[in-house]
Amino acid sequence: MSPKAAGLAKKSGYTNVKVYLEGEPAWAKAGLPTYASNDFVNKGNIVLIDLRSTAKAEAARLPRAVSVPYETLDDRMEDIPRKAPVVLYSDKEKEAIAALGDMRFEGFKKVSLVYGSLDNWLKADGMHESGPVTTEISWKRKLGPGEVTVADFEKALSGMASFHSPNPVILDVRTNDETKSGKFKNAVTIPLDELSARMNELPKDRKIYIHCSTGARAEMAHKELQKSGFDSFFLVADVECKGNDCEIEE
Amino acid sequence: MKTNLKKLLPLAIMLSMLTWGCAQTQTGQDTASKPATEMKQQAPTYTGKIIGKSNKAKTISIEVGKGDQAKTMMVKFDDKTTGLEFAAPGEAAIINWEERGDDKFATVIKPKLASLPEGVSEIKTDELSNLVKSSADIMIIDSRPASRYAQAHLPGAVSIPAEDMKTKAAETLPKEKDKLLVFYCGGPT
Repeated sequence: MSPKAAGLAKKSGYTNVKVYLEGEPAWAKAGLPTYASNDFVNKGNIVLIDLRSTAKAEAARLPRAVSVPYETLDDRMEDIPRKAPVVLYSDKEKEAIAALGDMRFEGFKKVSLVYGSLDNWLKADGMHESGPVTTEISWKRKLGPGEVTVADFEKALSGMASFHSPNPVILDVRTNDETKSGKFKNAVTIPLDELSARMNELPKDRKIYIHCSTGARAEMAHKELQKSGFDSFFLVADVECKGNDCEIEE
Repeated sequence: MKTNLKKLLPLAIMLSMLTWGCAQTQTGQDTASKPATEMKQQAPTYTGKIIGKSNKAKTISIEVGKGDQAKTMMVKFDDKTTGLEFAAPGEAAIINWEERGDDKFATVIKPKLASLPEGVSEIKTDELSNLVKSSADIMIIDSRPASRYAQAHLPGAVSIPAEDMKTKAAETLPKEKDKLLVFYCGGPT
């Protein structure tokens, strides 16, 4: 994609155009820093980490920042959700870059730094908090379109999707092999690869809650049902059943 | 669970192909030197980064797909396999293979080359990082989707997603037409 963009720039008269083909992955792999956009730091669904001492963080820190002094980062890494985008900052550039390297080394794929001098960030209007710090990392993945929480799925299981549309349908799209060893009591079972041929077995006037064993197939089934005008939702969670006894784990 | 994984595998591979690649590839460059009989028109292929080659076991492993979808695939090779020199760890390659019994055998290995538009050249990590470190007067443009830019980008880079290039270039690119512009995205595979 970038060669094409470079070609367009060349055509519109730029004379000195290059492409960094290896791209962002090679940059990160070389241990070089990457940065989050300012807007993402302010509003993104991120884990924002203040690497400075607790005292400094108490005096002034970026809003929403969690205090993880650099020397404690190693011990705290298991508390950081691996799917979460993590943004780090410090008043020492070297420390921030070292922390970034440590996290990349531990396999975190979405880590970046706050760009620019921390002093300037903290001086900006409304850009800092002070007082006791939080050390607790509370990050929740945002639901995708059509995705339900485990709580809502469980409500649907008990037959109370909402007052307006009672009798939700639970649709299990795992294979016959998988459903043989167990399924939710009232679930309709249609394996994902048979869904398009068997859609007529599903009602269009009831909410359909789809699950599989992880959520991947449920999402695909959801997309297929949406195209055909069904009122469907899907669950992203691990589901394991023995008989009618099923466990849902996020 | 086993059957479940098997069912998901083709889907995972399909998904991985949808992820954001960077370079258009051209593969015809080195074929002239190869015997025509080696060329298979629609041979199955693996495209990705070579992970390793074992001369003892006569296998090549190659990483196919990106990010969480990345999978390491293994093919065997023999005396008839051509282009073995391109199966160097860390390099991007395209491996044509065929099934023999339970095994997959590499038939032709080609380097994965990016084709650059005329008048545009490649810049490598070292050169670019030196320019950044010396605060050179350049503009770095991130061609990936805006959400990827927001999460992590090169220092000082601006965002012009590839699909917005036609509409947004004029307002973002510098007035000086001789300024060095460096475009990048999510890597070559």
